[in-house]
Amino acid sequence: MDILVERPPWFVVGPLIGLCVIGLLALVNRRLGVLGGFSAVVERATGRTDELGWRGAFLLGVVGGGLIFALLSGSFGAGGGYGWLSRSVDGALVGPILVGAGVLIGFGAKTAGGCTSGNGLSGTALGSPASFVAFASFMATAVGVSLAIEGLL
Amino acid sequence: MRRAAALVGVAFGFLLSWGQATSPDRIREMLLLEDPYLYLMLGSGVLVASAGVRLLRRARAHALVTGEPVAWETLRPERRHVVGSVMFGAGWAVSDACPGPIAAQLGQGVAWSLFTLAGVVIGIGLYLRTQERAQPAAAPSPARG
Repeated sequence: MDILVERPPWFVVGPLIGLCVIGLLALVNRRLGVLGGFSAVVERATGRTDELGWRGAFLLGVVGGGLIFALLSGSFGAGGGYGWLSRSVDGALVGPILVGAGVLIGFGAKTAGGCTSGNGLSGTALGSPASFVAFASFMATAVGVSLAIEGLL
Repeated sequence: MRRAAALVGVAFGFLLSWGQATSPDRIREMLLLEDPYLYLMLGSGVLVASAGVRLLRRARAHALVTGEPVAWETLRPERRHVVGSVMFGAGWAVSDACPGPIAAQLGQGVAWSLFTLAGVVIGIGLYLRTQERAQPAAAPSPARG
């Protein structure tokens, strides 16, 4: 579908994403966050819990949403490289660097109680002071590290 | 409850993909302050959600599936919110991905996301183990976020 090839205006996608936060609260009274879904999978796989729960179901939904989009837009599995890493780093290093970055994401976001969606989107929308602090901290760090990487390349 | 959560997840994953918030190049443009799109997308999402959830609470709405009164807790900032978010932000900048986009990339068949996924799983596992070592007597906390 051609409409999916170009990204729509931000004022279309943004409010719809806001509706997802409202929808999850209105349906099941839970705070939207993707990190919790990954955590639910890890907790289930390591026997810490015996079910995936709503967080695991939400995560599977996000994966499914990506799949549906890719099938409708005809982009499934498209694109060989991965952003600046593939352009700037030896190919054999891209995987290990992504694993390392993933560890920081998983450990850091668990420590902070949320990621871009849990703290940045829903935590701030719900007016949680901790989420505003988390949001400011990860935005400042991510922008600073990105600019530093750009400067070094 | 799980079916409802999965349904919202599908919408969320689809929208992240459509807004190209799953593209490492678009995320990099965001973090290098070259393109305001993803900030505007996130900001307008926060504003709409913020208004909507307050309307629900003011109307004393009950969640349709669980029947619970719509309510939420807010947290006071602690050191962990800063320390954890600094780590998370560094990982985000290097990989140009965070948990939502990683999940949607998996669905899109982006093979590289398997590496980021592996890291996130290891990181969460390390965190859970650290917590359990710190408080061996305590029951596993109901993780949030």
